Amino acid sequence: MTIFFLLLASVTLLLANSLTKKDNFLANENTETTTAYDDPFSKMMKVLTHKRCVNCHPSGNRPRQGEDSHYHNFNVLRGADNHGVAALRCESCHADENNDFSGVPGAPEWSLAPLEMAWEGLSRVEIAKSMLDPKINGGRSLEETVKHLTEHELVLWAWEPGVDAEGNPREKPPVSKEEYIKAVKEWAAAGAIIPEK
Amino acid sequence: MSNNTKPKNKSRRRFFLKAGLGTMGVLALGTYVFRNPMRRKIYELSETLVPPYNGSGTEANLWFEMTKENKLIFHSPKVEMGQGTFTGFAQIVADELDLNINQIIVKAAETDTGIIDGMSTGGSLSIASMYQPIREMAATMREKIKLEAAKKLSIDASSIKTADGVLTAEGKIMTYAEALAEVTDWSLPDTPELRPFSSYKYIGKPIPRTDLKAKIVGEPIFGMDAEMPDMLHAAVIRPEHVGSSLKSADTSVAEKMPGVVKVVQMDGWIGIIAESFPQALAAKNKVKVEWDIPTVWTEQSLRDYLKIGEGDKMITQKSGAELEEGGDGVIDLEFTSPIGAHAQIEPNGAVAHYKDGKVTVKLSTQVIGITQKQVAEALNIDTENVNIIGTYLGGGFGRRLDTNHAAHAALMSKEVGKPVKYFFTRKEEFQNDMFRPPTHHIIRGKVDNNGQLEALEHHYASGDVAINAALFPPVAGTVLGTDVGAMRGGNIMYKNLPNYRAVQWHRTLPFATSFWRSLGLLANTFAIESFIDEMALKAGKNPVEYRLAMLGDDENQQRIRKVIEECASKANYNDKVSGNKAMGFAASIDAGSPCAQVVEVSIIDNEIKVEKVTCVMDCGLAVNPDQVRAQCEGSIIMGISAAVHEKMTIKDGRLFPIIYGPYDMALMRNSPKEIDVHLIQGVDVPLPVGEPPLGPIGAAIGNAIRRITGKRLTDLPMTLA
Amino acid sequence: MKITFNINGKSQSVDVDEHTPLLWVVRDVLNLKGTKFGCGKAACGACTLHVDGEAVRSCSYPIKFAEGKEVTTIEGLGEGDNLHPVQQAWMEEIVPQCGYCQPGFMMATAALLEKIPNPTDEDIDNNIVNICRCATYYRMRKAIHRAAEIKGTNS
Repeated sequence: MTIFFLLLASVTLLLANSLTKKDNFLANENTETTTAYDDPFSKMMKVLTHKRCVNCHPSGNRPRQGEDSHYHNFNVLRGADNHGVAALRCESCHADENNDFSGVPGAPEWSLAPLEMAWEGLSRVEIAKSMLDPKINGGRSLEETVKHLTEHELVLWAWEPGVDAEGNPREKPPVSKEEYIKAVKEWAAAGAIIPEK
Repeated sequence: MSNNTKPKNKSRRRFFLKAGLGTMGVLALGTYVFRNPMRRKIYELSETLVPPYNGSGTEANLWFEMTKENKLIFHSPKVEMGQGTFTGFAQIVADELDLNINQIIVKAAETDTGIIDGMSTGGSLSIASMYQPIREMAATMREKIKLEAAKKLSIDASSIKTADGVLTAEGKIMTYAEALAEVTDWSLPDTPELRPFSSYKYIGKPIPRTDLKAKIVGEPIFGMDAEMPDMLHAAVIRPEHVGSSLKSADTSVAEKMPGVVKVVQMDGWIGIIAESFPQALAAKNKVKVEWDIPTVWTEQSLRDYLKIGEGDKMITQKSGAELEEGGDGVIDLEFTSPIGAHAQIEPNGAVAHYKDGKVTVKLSTQVIGITQKQVAEALNIDTENVNIIGTYLGGGFGRRLDTNHAAHAALMSKEVGKPVKYFFTRKEEFQNDMFRPPTHHIIRGKVDNNGQLEALEHHYASGDVAINAALFPPVAGTVLGTDVGAMRGGNIMYKNLPNYRAVQWHRTLPFATSFWRSLGLLANTFAIESFIDEMALKAGKNPVEYRLAMLGDDENQQRIRKVIEECASKANYNDKVSGNKAMGFAASIDAGSPCAQVVEVSIIDNEIKVEKVTCVMDCGLAVNPDQVRAQCEGSIIMGISAAVHEKMTIKDGRLFPIIYGPYDMALMRNSPKEIDVHLIQGVDVPLPVGEPPLGPIGAAIGNAIRRITGKRLTDLPMTLA
Repeated sequence: MKITFNINGKSQSVDVDEHTPLLWVVRDVLNLKGTKFGCGKAACGACTLHVDGEAVRSCSYPIKFAEGKEVTTIEGLGEGDNLHPVQQAWMEEIVPQCGYCQPGFMMATAALLEKIPNPTDEDIDNNIVNICRCATYYRMRKAIHRAAEIKGTNS
């Protein structure tokens, strides 16, 4: 009996936890007009917590897709090298650029972020911390991280996300590319300080 | 061609087929439904009768063509859409014409051959309805060949033996092709006695499909692969909103796009004709269209429109007394099924050439004769000036029982003076399908002191299936009042019940709905067999025995009984739940073929997994048992897909989704790893095969889930909370 | 734009718009109709072929990326008249019904067997996600295992 209650309690906790995390995740999208969030860090994180980024930083082995961040259709999986499984590679469908005929998005090195870089469900502070931690960011220095964040084509794809299967343009992050790049550099130059919240 | 058996004039001098109940005959009988018990009986029978072939071109010499290489071309009135009909036909022809099956080439008959099927390829009837006529025609042709050989060899025809396309007699030898060389008199002898069944080498044997190799190496056999010299490619714009019509369009940008030849604005659609398909598609995206949308439909407004109590009411079955809604001890359960898409992988389309008042069209169609009429009407020419060349179909499932798009291709060809090929994009397929209509069901029952049902009623509401279909004359719907397609599986099959009835409510929906493999069977059986299972559980009885107690003693009831007993036994059916795993049982009879299924379902990570299906069906004589099995396997997985995955919805007046994936379908990972099919031959003629196995699967899964979770799922597709 | 690549072992040049999906070059320019159009959205897998040995959905592959690469279609899967083990297994198990989606499935399976010579049921579930409306999945699974056997025996 006790075990049952313990189980129940832990399940409830887990559920509550996931809900809170989801709320945080959504909160980042919904507060874009708040002036309090206009500092460089906030600007940068508004982009990095956007679905264009987080869909391919899943916490499990299944990428997400679409404006509602549903699991990628057809049970698409991460695979050993983050590029999909043997005969169902990311590259099986995603080319180096968006495809207007099919509505399939594309950019060079289209793939999932490594599991260590899972952002799904994390708060902006947690994401930022993971980004700066060389143990999990692939050994990148701050300089290299900034370069990745501001120059990598797959990252910058977020501002040229193409059209979906119906031909409708995908939603872009709430901050312009130029503003975002500027914000990342300012934040890094000011010591890459991560606020408490 | 000297040894071409096809006469130049398509006179129709002789009909081998005995007059009988054609499809239309059945419908006409239905006109008087319920005015007296006798007719009601006939109406019920119409559910199980196999109507004989009632197309035109019933002369044997129109159907067979002998080539110089001593190969026989069989011009089939039915098309091959995966159901294995061509293979079955080849088997039947080979056995009565004494040919090796490798000597037979089955081709879909062009309308120019004069063989126009009046019934369509569908209803699981191809083999069932053609078994007798093809044997008779093949036997007649064999006799004709013998007579011609006898003349050439100056011997007595009765002494001639035939085998593998060769005639032998008195030490002389001659091929069929030689016998038929230079024949000009195509008058035919009387049909000889058919061969005894025991002498058949192919009928009843599981031989490999005759189209296997072509499909393995990727030969260009489908409508999508068809071409004509110098053809152009087109894309078409159609309404995206339910019930909307074209208001205005700005095509100026599209007209200047690379490769574009012409943009045509027609009645309700726009055609963009270009040198290549990608060019036509790119230009299509540049057309600005305004639509007139009178009503914005939503899922809720559709559900409010289509429900029991709305539209036309017709009692499709009654025996004994009627239950009173809300009466003492009366139990109601409500079920629904969603809009279903055909989702066949080969899109609809056609390549057509209009020249000097004549049209040739190549396409995948299930209704070659109706396609011909539709094209002729659209271009205002006689049907004789339209030749429809049917190809292999990349899936049919009922979607190609209306092919108005063939006319669009012909109209575009007329506009540009060249052949034009076009096909639906996947979005057009999903938004302009002729959907499986959504349904609403109330099952009402009352049990006796032992918990057995003493009364069972099925009230069901459906959109059009057969009513308004191109396949039937427009009058069929209004005269009958009943939609005979929506009725499939809607009547109660347990005739030992003291009281039972079925009541149909019909409404035409604001979007096209029509035939989807098995028609009403899928949803009707889901509702009825789920309810019966629930009653068995309530009574604490084994659901198999519970069903058997409701069956009567006549031949049909005995056949159902046997299938149910056999299935429970083969599957070792038990009513126990083990952890996340349980069995589910259900049965149905469709078009005369009873089928029972036991599924083994487990729930893993909140996902419904069908691990194993045992299927027992009595479809009479299986001309090709392997292909019958293939139809069962495919139907079962398609049924899983419909029961657990598929759903179209209306959102802001548009049908969604518009693509595979979001239109969730069973994939490899959702398919059972074990499918155990057992066939019973309850009668010695072939009966329908391709749809009956879609009956039990939904309810069987629901019944298993009920045992695992304690919850009765009443809406398709079934989802766990 | 002129693009040169190998198709089924032979060099081929085409002059088309660089964004043209490879599928339409294969089907309508090179007249190899075994590669099918199903959805045009890289969703159904009917257009699956190989580019440099990898399974690719050609409706979503701009022709310009094929430059200098080796493209294999169902017509080139076997060697001459010899069917590929996957095709042989498909014959043995009598897999196709309508047959329209089957080349895509066979191409995906052939790519899978190059990477995983003896796939488990789970490997098959995870890798073969094309759509077959006739739902021939039950026989396909058997054929995939059989193809692995044939291929293993041959090599």
